[in-house]
Parts: sequence; structure tokens; C-alpha cells
Amino acid sequence: MRNKIVAGVLTFLSAAVIVTGCGGTNGGTKGENNSGTNGASPSASAEATAKPEKSGVVNVFTARHYDIDFAMFDQFEKETGITVNEIKGTAEELVERMKREGESSEADLFITVDGGVLNYAKESGVLQPIESETLFSNVPEKFRDKDNNWVALASRARVIVYAKDRVKPEQLSTYEALAEPQWKGKVVARSSTNMYNQSLIASFIELNGEAKTEEWAKGIVANFARDPEGGDRDQAKALAAGIADVAIMNTYYVGQMLHSKDAEEVKVAENIGVFFPNQETTGTHLNISGIGLAAHAKNKENALKLAEYMTSKEGQEMLTNGSFEFPVNPAAELPQLLKEWGQFKTQDIQYAQLGVNNKAATELLNRSGWK
Amino acid sequence: MKTLLLRRWKQRFGAWSVISGIGAVLALLPSLYILAGLLGKPGENWAHITEYMLLDYALESLLLTGGTVVLASLAGIVLAWLTVAYDYPLRRFFSFVFLLPLAIPPYIAAYTYSSMLSYTGSVQTWLREMGVAVNQNYFDVMSMKGAIIIFSLFLFPYVYLMVRSFLEKHSASFVESARLLGRNPLSVFFRVALPLSTGAVVGGASLVAFEVLNDYGVSKHFGLQTFTAAIFKTWFGMYDIDSALRLAASLMALIIGIFVIERLLRRRKRYHIPANRSVPLTRRKLKGPVAWLAVIFSSFIALLSFFLPVVQLLIWAWWTFEDVWNEKFVGMLSNTLLVSCFTVVITMFFAVVASNVNRQWRSPLSLTVGRLLSMGYSIPGAVLSIGVLAVFLSVDKRLAGVYAALGLGHNKLVLSMSLVMVVFAYSIRFLAVGYNAMDSGFDRIGNKYSEASRTMGNGMTATFFKVDLPLVKGAVLAGGIMVFLEVVKELPLTLLLRPFNFDTLATKAYQYASDEQIHQAALPSLLIIALGIGSVCLYHWLGRRKS
Repeated sequence: MRNKIVAGVLTFLSAAVIVTGCGGTNGGTKGENNSGTNGASPSASAEATAKPEKSGVVNVFTARHYDIDFAMFDQFEKETGITVNEIKGTAEELVERMKREGESSEADLFITVDGGVLNYAKESGVLQPIESETLFSNVPEKFRDKDNNWVALASRARVIVYAKDRVKPEQLSTYEALAEPQWKGKVVARSSTNMYNQSLIASFIELNGEAKTEEWAKGIVANFARDPEGGDRDQAKALAAGIADVAIMNTYYVGQMLHSKDAEEVKVAENIGVFFPNQETTGTHLNISGIGLAAHAKNKENALKLAEYMTSKEGQEMLTNGSFEFPVNPAAELPQLLKEWGQFKTQDIQYAQLGVNNKAATELLNRSGWK
Repeated sequence: MKTLLLRRWKQRFGAWSVISGIGAVLALLPSLYILAGLLGKPGENWAHITEYMLLDYALESLLLTGGTVVLASLAGIVLAWLTVAYDYPLRRFFSFVFLLPLAIPPYIAAYTYSSMLSYTGSVQTWLREMGVAVNQNYFDVMSMKGAIIIFSLFLFPYVYLMVRSFLEKHSASFVESARLLGRNPLSVFFRVALPLSTGAVVGGASLVAFEVLNDYGVSKHFGLQTFTAAIFKTWFGMYDIDSALRLAASLMALIIGIFVIERLLRRRKRYHIPANRSVPLTRRKLKGPVAWLAVIFSSFIALLSFFLPVVQLLIWAWWTFEDVWNEKFVGMLSNTLLVSCFTVVITMFFAVVASNVNRQWRSPLSLTVGRLLSMGYSIPGAVLSIGVLAVFLSVDKRLAGVYAALGLGHNKLVLSMSLVMVVFAYSIRFLAVGYNAMDSGFDRIGNKYSEASRTMGNGMTATFFKVDLPLVKGAVLAGGIMVFLEVVKELPLTLLLRPFNFDTLATKAYQYASDEQIHQAALPSLLIIALGIGSVCLYHWLGRRKS
């Protein structure tokens, strides 16, 4: 029996050795960049894993978990020699963490999806004004915070998609029209816990007022073909399956589905049409991803360099080709699919308002019974 | 008088209770931070929350949890009884396979099933090719019913495991007597096996309940309005973290209530059955159609709860391997192992100490402490992480002077930017798992051996190593492996509390799944499952060698 215990302990220890061994090599590769500098500072080795050299890193708190983002960070590292460290999480959690860390926070850049969240970060005091002519020329004013606490990185439209075999685009006009009785039992959308829906409603509150928006939400709920479930892709699938005729979803998912490894998903994407609503009226709802400069950034210069890189023409082309979002830099060329969709009119509102109205939107969705 | 009491107390417990106390205090800090939210004044949004969310969401949570607990317990008990009391073709294989669903995180299973059964999924595509027109209503897995079934399929092993190990070791004499007295098989099951294993069922079922209560991944994807969803809607939708914490605190208060009930249930049915020297139950051979029925039923469960989703994931991983695989996976794997092993050691250390103190010192206080230790398991990880973060940041602030003296820099965050925070959070979260295993382990052997040892003048420590440890070794290992499994699958804590560039397999899987890239999520998910299978095998092998 004792042998068994000994064997167990040995197994554990050897596993631990293997593990720490791997950990060691990991740290080594990260630290190699600055091994050329003579080790004058005694504390340098202790901090090697997190920061090879004060000027050589930028710490990113990101809520965007797309592979293309990380590929861009790698590319940036290669081109500039600046190491990009990242902590990932949900946007609201990251803001909370930065807020609580206060002055000690290691965050330099904050990256997230959703204009509302960007505004929330600003209101929470975890961002500071950006001063960079390059950034300002990369990103037009309408895609920037009015105090330049953040700039947009990319945009996406939340549109109406329809089953090509049952719906003609002429039957579609506005988001508002989807609440009309003719669409009873024919509409699907995802749940109201989703921030894309919350921001969509927040934009309607801005444009149409709360009372009208609530009426609209109730109309949509009455027209639902089923209780909200799944993500945006699942709404597209519901069209293909014949559960519903029209759905509300983000544009880039259509792009991703068209390039899916799953032939069936490609088929679904080919059988749905993308319709940009409200062209005659208030415009299609556009939401953004954005970059904010952390209030207590310790590597401000590198942070701005990374932000400039990501919004540059090349950066934007790399990004949008990977994620099928729309670029914010007008100089960037659109991916083929987005070109085919053509120009469209967008809502004319401040993105910050998505955040200001978010609470009202959530409450409104609760009241209207949008699950 | 006072000194005498103190001395007696010291003699009896000394270092043990001190360690247990320290563990309790450390584990309680984050929970207390959250519970403190109940003391303050409710915020401006509270009225809206109580009017539109609280009751509905609580009821939906109750339905989901209740449904899952019933279904999972049913499956767990029946399968445990089938594999322990009967012999049928492939029995040994099945008795092992029923542990494997533990290796699959429920949210991965949910994504896999919903995608597999969706219009574009393999099942419907195949049916369409066969020319079968399908009614979509039959495939609506993203619903309350679907969630209950999926949770049950992947959580029933908690019940199965506890009931099986109980029946294997302790039911033989009762069951044999009942059989000898001519009871028919059904009556043996309902009148003897079932009442005997109530404690084990409750233990397993409470783990199932906690898993369901703190889940967010499944309910979010399925659009269910659970209590956890309400917490996150308040936080992410209304940006009102105080109200979100208040909601979480109410949930915790509710859980404490459940703890008390569970304890009462277990106390009423206390069978002291000698642990060693128990004869294993002789299995009755099933013959003919009954044997085939057993095989078919077992295969059905095994397919649904393990083989089907894994095969599907393998196919997806094959599709996306080139895009997803890179050398960083080695780092993720070692990261996962590293935090898991640390957590297992720390958690089991405190679990053993606390449960040992608790059983020797049966007082309401120690009981409460023991239960409070398990609170971390009951609340959503993301909420617990806020509590942990608050604790660590305040420690870091207090240690600022020390850091400066060590030359680490001014106003530095050291602990909260290190792995210590993650491991600490894991340990709090999964203490319940280790503690539950130890508690029932000690429960099973009773106190008479250790009391005999103490009477002969051995101290608590000597008694533990010479008498108790050999008897509860299995429980320690089982608990450790359970904790390992949990950490490998854990997500929300890791997400928020990890240091820079610290990716685990679970965070990678989540990165894809949260963006609806389920095919890309297959590879990291499979690696998680592989690690899980490895530890389940280890557990199974150890169990076999012992017997």
C-alpha cells in the first residue's frame, strides 16, 4: 500500500516537473527579446515573463476574442519588436477589473465590441483622451468618442435577413415594419441578454423615443416564430429550416457562414438574402468595435502605436478580411463580399448613446417580454 | 476552568482546527464580500429587477435545477444499481463509460448538440438525404426541455459515481439478506438499495444542483431566463454591478438554506456500516431478453452522453485542424495542467483538514463552517471572481510598501497579476467538491476506529496518518480527481482572473464557442475531454486495483 502512495506522489511530482519545465521554456521565449541588453537591473529576470523591457511591451485588455485580432498582435510584434500581452474577458468584467485596480492597473489598451460598452468604459473612468494625429486621420470623426477616449476599430451592421425562396426584398422596408401583423409567426431573433439586441433597441430609443420603441418591441415579440434561442447563426438556420421567414442578425456572420468548413452552413448562407433596412428613413443600425486608451496606461506610446497599426490601411484590410466587419478607415479596401453588398445609409447617432440608453433598453426589453 | 478548557481543546484539535479555521476565513472572504451587498441599500434599479426579473427568473432556475436533479438522479441510481447488482454483456465496459461524460463540459455539450441537431447539423442533413421530411419541433434542443436533458446526460455521473461506490462497498449484506428472504428484484431495489443509498444520492445530486445553478454558458446560448442570466443582465445590461452582486447574494442565501435541508435529510438516515471487511455484492446474471434490454439501455445512454458528441467533435476538429492548431496549444495544455495540479493539492489539503475537524467536533459551529467552505461552488464564477479580485487588490494595496522595499516598483500589483489569484479562486470554488468527497468518506468509516486510536493515546495527527488516511485514501483520491476535472473545465474564473497571456484549453474553446465558431472550438474541447478521460481512467484503475 505504501508503494502505491509513493508511486502516486512520484507520478504527481514528475507531472509537476514536466509542467514547470514547459512553463519555464514559455517564459524564456517571451523574455528572449531583451536578452541582448546587459542584465544591469537585478529585478529584470524576475519580471521577465510579464515585461521584457519597459519600452518593449503593450498590455491589452480585450473583449474581442477573434483569431484575427491575435494574428494582428503577432504581426505587430514581428514588425515592431513590441511584445503584446493580453488579458481577455467580458468587456464589463474587464472594465470592473480596471476600475478596481485603479492607478496600479497594468492595462494600456482596452479593446471591445459595442459602442455602448465603450461609453460605459469611459463613464467608469478607466479611459483617457487619445492624442494621435495618425489615429485621427485613420479614423473619421463619426467613429470617435467626442472626447477621443476611444476610436472605432471596425463596424458591423445589424440587418434583416430573409429566406430567398419565400420573401422578396420588395416586401421588406424598415425594422419598424417587422412589427406589423403581416409578419406574425415569421420573425426570429436572439435573446435580449445579447448586447447586439440591447444596442439595437438603444439606437431606436434614441431615434424614435422610448414609447414607440416599446410598442415596436412588443410587436416583434408578438411576431416571433419561436422563443429567442441560440446565436445569430441559429437565426439564419431557422430561416433555412422554414421555422421563420425573416431574422435580425449581424452582417459579418453571413460572411463567416459563407466561408464555413461546413457545406451545409454555406448552403444556408447562400439561401438567405441580406437586406439593409431603413434606407429611406433613419438608416441601418451600425455598431462598432473600438479601442480605448487606459486611464493609467504605463506604455502609452506603444499603446498608441498598436492602435495606429490596427486602424492603418493595411491593418484594416487584414482585419476585415478575417472578420468580415466593415473597416472604419476609408482608405481600406473592402473584402469582395462586402463590396457586393454595396453602399448603404446608416443611422446618424452618437455611438455613446448606445451606452447611455442601454439600461432603458434592457428594462424595455424586460417589459415587452422579449426573452 | 478556562485554561482547562483551552488545554482540552488544544489536546483535541490544536493545529488541525487552526488550519481549518484559516481555510474557512480565506475561503469566506470573497463570499462575505458578496454577501455584504445584502446589507446596503438597494439601488435605483432594484425595483425594476424585483418587478420584472426576480420571481420569473428564480422560478425558471428552480424548474431547470429541479428537472435536472430528478432526471440525473434517476439515471445515476438506475445505472449504478444495474452495474453493481447485475451482470450482463459488456457490463465492465459500461460501468467505466458512465464516468466519461464528466470529462465533457456541459456548455460544450450544449453547443455540440444544438449545432448537431440544428437544420445544418449532421442529423437533419442525413435525414434530408434519406428523403425524410423533418418536423423542426422535434429538434428544438435549445429549450428548457433540451437543457434539462443535456445537463442530465452530462451531470448524472456525479450521482452514479457516489451511489455506485456506496452500493459496491456497503450494500452487500442487506441486499443478500433481502434476496435470501425471497424479495423480488424490484422490491430489493426500492425497499433496500434505494433507501440505503439516500445519502450518496443527495451528495451527488447536490453537486448536480450547484453545477446547474451557477451555469451561464448553457442558459445563455439556449435563451433561458435563469437566475444567473438575471445577474448578468443586471450587470451587463444595466451596468449595475451592485444590484448584480445583491442578486448573487440572495442566491447564496438560498443555497445556505438548501445546505441546511440537505444536512437534515442526511442526518435522519444515518447508517453506520463498517467500511472494511465488507463483502462485495454477488452479481446476478441477467439472461435472455432482459440482458439484451440492459445492454440496449446502457448503450443508449453511453452513446448520447459520450460517444455521439465526441465523434461529432472529432469530425469538426478534422475540418478545422489546419486553421486552429498551432504550437501555442502545448503552452495551453501545460497551463491547464499546472493550475489544475496546484489547485488539487491545496483544495484536498483543506478539504481533508476541515472535514476531519468537523466530524470529530460535531457542533453547529463546525458544521456551519464546513458548509460555508462549500459556498464558492454555488454562485456563478464571474460573480465569485469579483469577490476574489476585491480581496486580492486590497491585499496588494496593503503590501505596496513591501513590494517597494523589494524593488518591484511603486504601486505595483503583484499577487493579483499572478497565478496565485487564479489558483486561490479555483480552490475556493471547488473546495465543495473535495469537501463533499471527504465528508462522505469520513461519514462512511464512522468515528470508532479513530476514537479507539485516540483512547490509546495517539494524537489527532498520528491517528490521522495511521488510522484514518488508509481508510479514506480512496475518498481523497476520488475528491482530488473530481477537483482536477472541474478545474480543467472551468471557465469564468479563468477568464477574468488569469495573468497576462495565460490561456487554458477552456478559454480557447470558449473564445471560439462564444463567437459561434463551434467547429473551431472542437479541437480545444477535445483536448479538455482527453485530459478528463485520462483522469477518469486513473480513477477507475485505482479503484479496480484496490478491489
